[in-house]
Amino acid sequence: MKRILFLLFFLFLQAVFAADKATAEDAYQLLRSDPTGFERVVPGKALAFPSDHLPHKDFRIEWWYVTANLLDADGQSYGVHWTLFRSSMNALPDPDGWASNQVWMAHAALSTPDGHVYEERFARGGIDQANVTLAEGSRLNAFMDDWSLTGETQDLLPATLSFTAGGYSVNLSLAAKTPWVLQGDQGYSVKSSQGQASYYYSQPHIAVRGQISRFEEAAITVAGKGWLDREWSSQPLAKNQPGWDWFALHLDDGHALMVYRLRQTDGNHWISGSWVTPDGKATTLRKGEVLITPVGTQSVDTGDGTTRDLPLTWRIELADKAMAWTVTPQSANQWLNTAFPYWEGPVDVEGSTDGVGFMELTGY
Amino acid sequence: MAIGLLAGVALWSAVQLINDHARASYGEADQLLGAEARFWIRSTGDQGVLPADYIKLRRMGFTSVFPVLESRLQTKDGQLVALIAIDLLALPLTGSGNSETDASKTSSLETTTSHPFAAGNWLALIQPPYQLWYPATLADQLNISAGEQLLLRNGTVLPPAVIQAQVQQGQRLFMDVGAAMAVLGRDRFSYLGVGQLTMAERKQLEGSLPDELTLVENHQAIDMQQLTASLHTNLSALGLLSFAVGLFIVFNAVRYSLLAREGTLTTLREMGVSLRLIGMAILAESLLWSVGGTALGLGVGLWLSHLLLPSVSVSLQSLFGAVMGSDIGLSWDQVFVALLMTLTGVALALTLPLWRKASAPILKTTSQEGEVGKTVREMGFFAGGLLVCAAIGYTNISSVTGGFVVIGLLMFGGALLLPVLVYTLVVALGRWLPEQMWQIRWAVSDALSQMPHLRIALMALLLTLTANIGVTVLVDSFRSALSAWLETRLSADIYVISPQLDVERLVRTSATEDKWLLNSHDRFGASFRWQARPSNVLGIDVDAPDVRNMKLPFAVEGGLDAWRSQESPNVILANEQVRFLAGQTLGSDITLPGPEGPVSFRIVGFFHDYGNSGYQFYLPSDLMRSIWPNAQSQGLALWIAEGQESEAEEQLIAAGALAGEWIWQKDIKAISFSIFDRTFAITAALNTLTLIVAGIALLAALMAVHQSRLPEYSHWRSLGLTYLEWLKIVAVPLGLMIIVTLCLSLPLGFLLSWLLIDDLNVIAFGWTMPLRWSWLPALNLALLTLGIVLVTLVIAVVQVRLRLPASLKLLGSR
Repeated sequence: MKRILFLLFFLFLQAVFAADKATAEDAYQLLRSDPTGFERVVPGKALAFPSDHLPHKDFRIEWWYVTANLLDADGQSYGVHWTLFRSSMNALPDPDGWASNQVWMAHAALSTPDGHVYEERFARGGIDQANVTLAEGSRLNAFMDDWSLTGETQDLLPATLSFTAGGYSVNLSLAAKTPWVLQGDQGYSVKSSQGQASYYYSQPHIAVRGQISRFEEAAITVAGKGWLDREWSSQPLAKNQPGWDWFALHLDDGHALMVYRLRQTDGNHWISGSWVTPDGKATTLRKGEVLITPVGTQSVDTGDGTTRDLPLTWRIELADKAMAWTVTPQSANQWLNTAFPYWEGPVDVEGSTDGVGFMELTGY
Repeated sequence: MAIGLLAGVALWSAVQLINDHARASYGEADQLLGAEARFWIRSTGDQGVLPADYIKLRRMGFTSVFPVLESRLQTKDGQLVALIAIDLLALPLTGSGNSETDASKTSSLETTTSHPFAAGNWLALIQPPYQLWYPATLADQLNISAGEQLLLRNGTVLPPAVIQAQVQQGQRLFMDVGAAMAVLGRDRFSYLGVGQLTMAERKQLEGSLPDELTLVENHQAIDMQQLTASLHTNLSALGLLSFAVGLFIVFNAVRYSLLAREGTLTTLREMGVSLRLIGMAILAESLLWSVGGTALGLGVGLWLSHLLLPSVSVSLQSLFGAVMGSDIGLSWDQVFVALLMTLTGVALALTLPLWRKASAPILKTTSQEGEVGKTVREMGFFAGGLLVCAAIGYTNISSVTGGFVVIGLLMFGGALLLPVLVYTLVVALGRWLPEQMWQIRWAVSDALSQMPHLRIALMALLLTLTANIGVTVLVDSFRSALSAWLETRLSADIYVISPQLDVERLVRTSATEDKWLLNSHDRFGASFRWQARPSNVLGIDVDAPDVRNMKLPFAVEGGLDAWRSQESPNVILANEQVRFLAGQTLGSDITLPGPEGPVSFRIVGFFHDYGNSGYQFYLPSDLMRSIWPNAQSQGLALWIAEGQESEAEEQLIAAGALAGEWIWQKDIKAISFSIFDRTFAITAALNTLTLIVAGIALLAALMAVHQSRLPEYSHWRSLGLTYLEWLKIVAVPLGLMIIVTLCLSLPLGFLLSWLLIDDLNVIAFGWTMPLRWSWLPALNLALLTLGIVLVTLVIAVVQVRLRLPASLKLLGSR
């Protein structure tokens, strides 16, 4: 559910292009009102590949989201996070070219044993500066400037992820053997009791290998596990949902667990997730089947001279499976002070089975 | 006193604020609408950059590269406006987050656009009918209100107006770059801006550029500081002048108030109050006044600076292409400096009268005439000293500041000479006037009584009159030089700039059809940087009518012919800026950067090139083509047979030119002069303002004179003098002194304009022009001055009439 970052993106666009604070608050209202003119997310739609890897301009917002937990030869941890967001600025057909109604945003972040670097970029659609297309008709390519996730075929995976951030250059090859996990009900992922939903599919079992280098220094070879999320929607949030807590965990026994909690002002948080076996079979987790509880708060340096107290330690339980884990951040300072700020970083998992993963906290 | 402080501080601080603001703006000249532009990527032939090349660079990872389209547009009414267009989403972010170094970096997009976008949204900016952002002052000038659409001369309708400005937009229109290409029918950007690069990145970028693109460093910030220094020195000089005049007012006001309270002071001293205590009390009061006056003056100054900013901004943009922001604020530094200056000024203005007061016996008896004579002789010596210094300084002028120092010496020397002249004249008249004309003799000798009080005010008036005449003559001379120059330079009837025009076909039609075209001249040019300034070289047809009639103010013997025939190889003509700013002389060898490497030329002549802040060279077109084969057309000049104007326009359209791609000679001239007039609007505004300040100074002085002489007037009145006779005695000497002032301001003004034109102008701009003296402005000024004097006199007389009864009563009671 971290992918609700589109909300931030949308708000960012509103704030940048529309308005002062008052109107930005109105943007929340707009986001939560009916997305008139845009396509709606409905149950029962069969997702098709590779066509659903490509942009859905009829929907207001969508993203391509990669995270990875990596280790170098010395066993030191690295975290990678790369996202491409697309937004339609209105529900009319895209005139393309310089007048395109498409706007793109990208985030790249790298957690190293030494710290945390990140960058954000923006681009207008229609001029080939950013897009997700079939390059030369045969290779899927998601890119902005020189950042790219380039498939070897028309499929999103196997692929090469390549980006630079904070002086680092990252080149990773991504491959998976298990099928795509269609989240929710065959990819129809409900986000509130009031009908907000998205199309959502993931690949939690990505084998990642590659190199991280900085300036002229020798490249470090890394390997680990990656996660790719695809999601699109036109109306993703309910009126009473100010933020969310999201977890994507790789367990040492080969299982994967995704859970999220959309915080609601009435305290009745919307909780959902999925349990994926090592061979890629997924079970959707509903409220009651999964418990998410913050158990520890830490002060986080936001990079702009301020600090913020965030619930960085969590307890996750699957009541039916009698399993429980404690999730702790590998480093507290993973705040992205981007146009719309949030916390995202690698975590360690201890409990029924140990593991690693990624956590995203927004709206704090 | 408050008025003096207010007037002086206001004008001085207004000028100071504008100067500071302009300098701050130049500091941001390597910023383009909030993004750094340390470098530019330009095409070698200056034909612009293809969007595809730009996207290629972005896809290679050069994310600090962004597209810019700049254009000068001509409105239907013939006004020229500058447009800048950019892709706001592509502006480089100032950096990435990095908790390793704890660097907090924000996106420049966030900081620069959160407010500017307040009135619109992204789609409105990038989709038809688009948006065109006008800074408020420019909208006023073009008479455009929100939502209205500006019509261009070529029939293009610009997008609806939004009245708001980006940072560093200056007096320019702003548009999205995609929208600008669509509206203006362009398929290329003017250039690409590039943010900061490391040496490695720079090398990498240079290696990645296609052949026709080059990376050039943006020197604008440094250039602007250098280029505009002279204009700011000029403004500062005028500002300081009004501050000085303001202090004269304060000086008079202090005297006036001391005189008005003479009775009280005498009583206090008789009662045994120490001088020190009285002095302290007066100082404390003055302090209060000056703080109040400074505060008010700064307020008015801020207001005034906002009022004057658009015209300074226009001056800077037309003279130097410098862009200035439209937001001005007062900093604590400025408040502090203003306060310090006024306090020092007030302290000085107080010292003299207080010291005199202190050193005077309680019951004074002075021989006024003897004292006046002595002071005047001292002033005469001092004036002589200053003038000698000015003369010595004149022979060594090498910088704008040095020039202003000489001007300062001359002006103050001249000012000090004024009382000497008045005194000499009065004494001489006293000798020459026959004894029967006793009333006139009395009136003339009364000048000696008025002079000590009016002296300072008259000197202030003289300074302002001189500055006025000097600057007016400068502007007039420049205007007539420009007019004469345009006359020879723009001898063709029509000028065409049209990329798709088929020139050969156009010329052919005239040969075969009805001979509508008498002659034509196609010019080609290339741009580069030379001697740290933007420069260009033009290839011109040596047989074209405008070249045949070309006159060179400076040339070697037979230089023009040598240049035409190119018998001795690579002979070049240069604008006089090359002579005066780059220090080249006739016969100098220079090296210009050609596309194949440096090329050497010998300068054989200099031509006038007014309004150009860079260097320009002329080469015969054949030679130009062989050295710069990619030179771009700079426009086609056409000489049309009489009565064939409409035929010419028809043929132009037939040959591919679009409406609006040509302009008639008379229109260019009209535009040139409208730019000229707007450029010098600031001078006119400051001229008027300083004259008003001088008028106030005179009024304050007259009030002081009459207040001090009220007892004297009561005596006269009691002796039976009528009001009319009194008026004669008071007004005749004043008139006499004003006439002397006016007469002295003429030669001083002439000298000033001569210094400005012959020395400062050449040092600052590198232009020479003949000084054109005209009596009309001097006459206008004389009438204006007399008007001001009359008004002040009337006010003073009314005051005296009101106060005289009380004074008479006092006299009677004694």
